[in-house]
Amino acid sequence: MSGFFTTNIPVPDPKAPLLDVVDLQIELITDGGVIRAVDGVSFRILAGETVTIIGESGSGKSTTAMGILGLLPRDLAVLSGRASFQGRDVIANPRIINGVRGKTVSLVPQDPMTALSPIMSIGTQLEEAVRLRRPEFSKADAHNRAVELLDQVRIPNPAIQLKKYPHQLSGGMLQRVLIAMALAGEPVLLVADEPTSALDVTVQAGILDLLMELQERTRIAILMITHDLGIARIVSDRIHVMKNGRFVESGDVEDVVNHPREEYTQKLLAAVPQLGPWDGDVAASPITPRIGERS
Amino acid sequence: MAPYILRRLGQSLLTVFLTVSTVFVLVRLAPGDPAVAYAGPLATTEQLDTVRTQFGLDLPLWQQYAVFLRQLFQGDLGTSFSFQSPALQVVLERLPYTITLAVSAILLTTVVSVPLGVWMARRADTARELSANVVTIAGQSMPEFWTGTMLLTLFAVLVPILPASGFSTWGGLVLPTITIAIMQIALISRMVRREIVMNLQAPYLTVARSRGVKESGLTWRYAMGGASIPVLTALGTRFASMLNGVVVVEVVFAWPGVGSLVVRALETRDYPLIVATVLVTSVLSVLVQLLVDLCYPLLDPRVRLGKVATS
Amino acid sequence: MSVIDRPSAVTAQQLAAAGSTRRRRGSRLKIWIGAVCTLLVVLPILLANVLPLPAANSQDLSQRRLAPLTDGHLLGTDQLGRDLLSLILHGGQVSLLVGVLAVSVSGVIGIVLGSMAGFYGGKIDAFISRVLEAQLSLPLLMMLLLVVALFGPSLPVITFVIAIAQWPEVARLTRSLVLVEREKPYVSAARVLGLPRLQVLIRHVIPNIFKQASLVVLLLLAQAVLLESALSYLGAGPQRPFSTWGRIISDGQDYITTSWWLVTFPGLFIVILVVGVNLLGDGLRDRARRRKGAKS
Repeated sequence: MSGFFTTNIPVPDPKAPLLDVVDLQIELITDGGVIRAVDGVSFRILAGETVTIIGESGSGKSTTAMGILGLLPRDLAVLSGRASFQGRDVIANPRIINGVRGKTVSLVPQDPMTALSPIMSIGTQLEEAVRLRRPEFSKADAHNRAVELLDQVRIPNPAIQLKKYPHQLSGGMLQRVLIAMALAGEPVLLVADEPTSALDVTVQAGILDLLMELQERTRIAILMITHDLGIARIVSDRIHVMKNGRFVESGDVEDVVNHPREEYTQKLLAAVPQLGPWDGDVAASPITPRIGERS
Repeated sequence: MAPYILRRLGQSLLTVFLTVSTVFVLVRLAPGDPAVAYAGPLATTEQLDTVRTQFGLDLPLWQQYAVFLRQLFQGDLGTSFSFQSPALQVVLERLPYTITLAVSAILLTTVVSVPLGVWMARRADTARELSANVVTIAGQSMPEFWTGTMLLTLFAVLVPILPASGFSTWGGLVLPTITIAIMQIALISRMVRREIVMNLQAPYLTVARSRGVKESGLTWRYAMGGASIPVLTALGTRFASMLNGVVVVEVVFAWPGVGSLVVRALETRDYPLIVATVLVTSVLSVLVQLLVDLCYPLLDPRVRLGKVATS
Repeated sequence: MSVIDRPSAVTAQQLAAAGSTRRRRGSRLKIWIGAVCTLLVVLPILLANVLPLPAANSQDLSQRRLAPLTDGHLLGTDQLGRDLLSLILHGGQVSLLVGVLAVSVSGVIGIVLGSMAGFYGGKIDAFISRVLEAQLSLPLLMMLLLVVALFGPSLPVITFVIAIAQWPEVARLTRSLVLVEREKPYVSAARVLGLPRLQVLIRHVIPNIFKQASLVVLLLLAQAVLLESALSYLGAGPQRPFSTWGRIISDGQDYITTSWWLVTFPGLFIVILVVGVNLLGDGLRDRARRRKGAKS
């Protein structure tokens, strides 16, 4: 299959949005029949912005992200519509995704504990990610770059950590490593699929801080998938509320949160637990912070 | 890693101990005079008496056991009366032939079943499913003595390409090896396929794919890496049942290993020889599996380094 | 190639339908072919005594080594003039008897010990598991030959010996099944009600796993037939007048170039029976697995 990568991939169009999704539909084949997991969603992501898709489990948000990246099982998923990365539609021509993944777009997965091969060291896997993006690098170059990447994600003693194996690191550290691997591809768009759901609350904050910091420094765009409204408020510019495979509401994050138009969105917002005085008089207390709000 | 090694060693020792004790109990339980068993049906009364004292057959069971164990440690497994020499020696002389056959069968099995299993695992189309089923079912269902005899007839007699029996040339190794390997390939390739399919669906594979790792790399380096551990274990555990096949095949092809030895000993009622063969092959089997299990730490860093999460 | 290439030609619906039909057809095919093969061998064997065949032991030295389809001998005769088909069918009766008995015994032992190990855990489990692992790591055929040598190749001995060879596999499967069942709510519910553990095990857990355990026992029947024929090939099988298939083959081996049928036909019977039982067991297992998957 030589010439497969070099010939047919069209050149990215710098004027096109990083990601342009139009009327995406995804049908999944399960034992119980065919399910339309995503039923005509459209959105776009421009350089440097963070777009969040928020919804409960089963709403289709992860399926959307994985589907666009071509990571759904080939014989169990059927996609239709348009999903273009810098003008290149990966649904019309699925081969394009090979030239996009790991180069223009990277994935930060949900569960760090199962996201790495258990029998290869962190260094081996990270250096491989580097060399996939930069085949011209020597082993030493790749190693240095790996150290640099671990440093960027604020991992102490990076050279030592490279020699370790995934089972020797905690969830939070692993997630940072996974972010480093995503960055190894020098992406312009990061797809973060519930990147903090599998982590402790205290660790979550650190990861989100890291993502924000990276975005500030490198102007990378982020597609965030989450069910947590608090996270959505912290990181997003725009948000899409998803339910049963469709967007029920979309807009700038502050608009949607403060002035929700749809009933579903209102319910979602109301479901966020609120801190308050012990006697339950929530609305009256002036010092009630809400999760996600800076107090 | 250390507790793992100790545990495996303990298990192996236990197995050997159980085997030895079972053999002891069996010989004592059997109908007939154990002295006759040891000395042979043609022994004279004096010889029988000698054997009785030698093996302490008049002593209470505990002491007999002690004598038995002591002799084992000294390497004395009795005398084979059909060969008129120490049983252990007879067995050890023929052991290399059996090992050669076993090793070549393992090699052939591995070389064929790994690529075959991977091929069957890659996609779920009808051709691969069908071949998976046919290979497994057919291979498992043909008894080695029948397959061996048919192959022998076809390739050594009717179309004389290969030598019919014997060990005088390397060519004589071909047919017996293939015969044993057929059944093993059926089982192992099925296992490889199952493991690869499981690994291909693992989350870390999807994430690797998102980094742009190519499909071939995913199959061979990632999925195979994960699958290699259970497959290696399987090869080790199959060694014991493979020896079963070796016994039969040695008889079919008149291969001078311990398999044909034990069958001959059966015919001549040479119990010391049978016992010696059983003990030697059991120890060999346990040893092989111990070695395979000790390779685990080399392959799986989780075993090698212990599951302590630092951070 | 990927379905995404043809967005209009095939819908997910059609793919799904195709996929599941193929899977369903696959396991149904296995069950049918398996059943046919098994019956093809088992029925004539069961009916051997009423079929119009020459007696299995009537030697007629004037009719030695006749080719198949001569003189009313469907599969030919052996070196002593005995009708081969009759020999095979009557020998098959013994093989099947031994196989079924052995598998029943190993099934009972395996299920009992396996469920005890899985249910009670602790030292009982440790002990049974160690013995199990120990036995599985040994080349059993030699040990079995030793037993037969010591105790004689009678039917009870051979049956017992095959049963001993097979119980670990049944026990191991039963144990893992019971381990899973033990965690289910109905077990804790029963215990909370005060039911003694033994009763929970016998009345509730074992009936629930019985179907899956028996599937393994079915597959072991094939293995038992193979083991019995190997033993009889090596001379450790049931002695005359009960020559079973392995013995027929080893007797006929000397004449293979002149009388190929003596080796081929008994072998074919073995292969067809074992293939049949394996396919049947496989197909049933596939179907059970799919049913379980669809339910949950």
